[in-house]
Amino acid sequence: MHLLVQSIIVGVLTGGVYALMATGQTLIFGVMRVINVAQGAMVILAAYLSSSLFSSFGIDPFLSILITAPILFVLGFTIHATFLRRLRPEQNELSLLIMFAVALGIEGVLGLAYSTTYRSIQTGYVNRSFTVAGYHVALVRLLAFGLSAVILVGLFLLLNRSRFGRSVRATVQNPTSARLLGVEPTRVAAIGFGLGAATAAAAGAVYGLVYPFNGGSHYDLISRLLSIVMLGGLGSLGGSVIAALVMGVAESVVAANVSPIWSSFTFFAVLLAVLVFRPRGLFGVAQRGAL
Amino acid sequence: MRKRLSNRRGAAGLLAMALVVASCSSSGTATPKVTGPLRIGISLSLTGDFADPGKAAQKGYELWRDTVNAKGGILGRQVELKIVDDASSPDQVVTNYTNLIDKDKVDLVFGPFSSLLTVPSSAVAKRFGYSFIEPAGGGPAVFDQKLDNLFFVQPATVVAGGEVFAKWVLSLPADQRPKTAAYPSLDDPFASPIADRIRQLFEAAGIKTVYNETYSAETTDLSPVIAKVAAANPDVVVAGTQSVDAYAQVKAMVEQKFSPKMLYMSNGANSPVEFPDKVGKGNVAGIFSTSAWLYRSDEPGNKDFVAAYIKKFGGAGSDIDETSAQAYACGQLLEAVAAKTSKVDNATIISSLHQGAWPTLMGQISWDAIGQPQGSTDLVQWIDGSLQVVFPTDQAKHQATVTKPAWGG
Repeated sequence: MHLLVQSIIVGVLTGGVYALMATGQTLIFGVMRVINVAQGAMVILAAYLSSSLFSSFGIDPFLSILITAPILFVLGFTIHATFLRRLRPEQNELSLLIMFAVALGIEGVLGLAYSTTYRSIQTGYVNRSFTVAGYHVALVRLLAFGLSAVILVGLFLLLNRSRFGRSVRATVQNPTSARLLGVEPTRVAAIGFGLGAATAAAAGAVYGLVYPFNGGSHYDLISRLLSIVMLGGLGSLGGSVIAALVMGVAESVVAANVSPIWSSFTFFAVLLAVLVFRPRGLFGVAQRGAL
Repeated sequence: MRKRLSNRRGAAGLLAMALVVASCSSSGTATPKVTGPLRIGISLSLTGDFADPGKAAQKGYELWRDTVNAKGGILGRQVELKIVDDASSPDQVVTNYTNLIDKDKVDLVFGPFSSLLTVPSSAVAKRFGYSFIEPAGGGPAVFDQKLDNLFFVQPATVVAGGEVFAKWVLSLPADQRPKTAAYPSLDDPFASPIADRIRQLFEAAGIKTVYNETYSAETTDLSPVIAKVAAANPDVVVAGTQSVDAYAQVKAMVEQKFSPKMLYMSNGANSPVEFPDKVGKGNVAGIFSTSAWLYRSDEPGNKDFVAAYIKKFGGAGSDIDETSAQAYACGQLLEAVAAKTSKVDNATIISSLHQGAWPTLMGQISWDAIGQPQGSTDLVQWIDGSLQVVFPTDQAKHQATVTKPAWGG
């Protein structure tokens, strides 16, 4: 029983890390219907930036998000303005290839700049944990979980309580009508893409604290992120959080109580089962625009 | 020893090798020149997945070339290296060695980096009757080919690499030996077979197995695995690891405040720079691993190698990638054969290296009929912040710490 509870704690906290990473992916899909396969590469890029800021200037990785988030925002905005804006609606499938090319480009640049040697961010508190009723809780993962919650609440408020959020939802539901009401869909989409990329900054800082990484780490990441987004329901922020927790707990419980060799498979078994009975995912909606 | 072998890539490589070899079937055996400079062809991974160790091998090879040429070359012939990039591809490496031998007519070839690339390229060399002295292909698939022209220039094969830890444990007085053991290992031909071999030796000696599981390479988070290991509370943890998973295991153990009495990690923990950098300097004390080469070694030519390396590339001895040393040792072997036989042709190299032991900066190495080294790796342990050789006794520079200190946090 102790092992089961401990593995659930580990799974929930790991799920929090993945929820943070999947947030931007979900936002970009929700706003633009673009499957951003470069989100994993952006997370790794942000991890490198946080690592460099820590090793060169001693800036704490959590604080470094204040610097890396604007950089990633500009990157996302630029990618949209340079590549995606030119696509006509019927060419939306091409965005997948474009984003794959962006991912490979980021990986190549990281390989040149940092080599392929694995890196990790070693702060004084990185391995710290505390014990509650005999169960161990890793500090960094708990902080990541809290950061994930804060960012999700912030995004929720932005999308539901602000003029920009109304513009985003209007653009997603009916771009033509939105334009008639004075909303500029291209600008809204570019800002939405930038915001999605900016969340990768927070995810990258946390990823670098929890896992070793190199330029190629985004391949493992993106398969999980896409699976989380699909399980949660494409474009649903709340759904992606629940899906990330399902993935974290399922993998952890199976790894600790059955066998680690089956842990990755478990999540995909859950994903397939859900998609068979509910093809739009746990919280997917038929109506466009519901984030 | 960062060698990977994926079945998919391996199959692709073998297929490509078969095609190229088939296309060359009428080309006959090359006839290298016997005068002028001694030209040695090498394919290395200067780009792609193995770019870092590939470049480390390049440094070792080129350093040896400069060193031997400064001494007047081999049998009066200056050494020239023709190094080409295989982009870490098993297909390209076949093309490269075929071109080096059949088109460029190099006199000799040395091996590439990784077992993945050594398997197809050594078969090409065999096809042309070339010797294949190689620094980094020690996985089972390399020796499954049963080639008599191949010589793996490390003290022991990958699978036998962990036996030295079992021997040390079993040499302890009975009251100091562990009673229970756990074996969390990566599902990889360079990781789990090492732990399996130790488990066999331990079980035969009565050490009870309380955990024995493998995890896939995609498993980035090993916290659940360590949670179960900790629940089993073994005296010794024997982890068949590569690199990233070794770091993840240690981090998970620290987070879960689980510190076994003994901890052995087959790979990852033997990196003097990377390991403390990834797990924290305070968390390395007492961890065992095995090593084919340490920069502080007193073996033949090692001090000269380290000094020459630092002079040419800068840095400190601890910065030297062991692949550089292993590549350098390939050249040492060639020098030794030339000195003993006054010849450097392929047939002489193959027949000579199959007889007796040969000096390298990793110690004396001898091989069986299919190129498997017959020696032992050194058991190393993190003591006072650095790796120390603690076993076998005749190689030991430091007394082993039997019980691992607590984590530094």
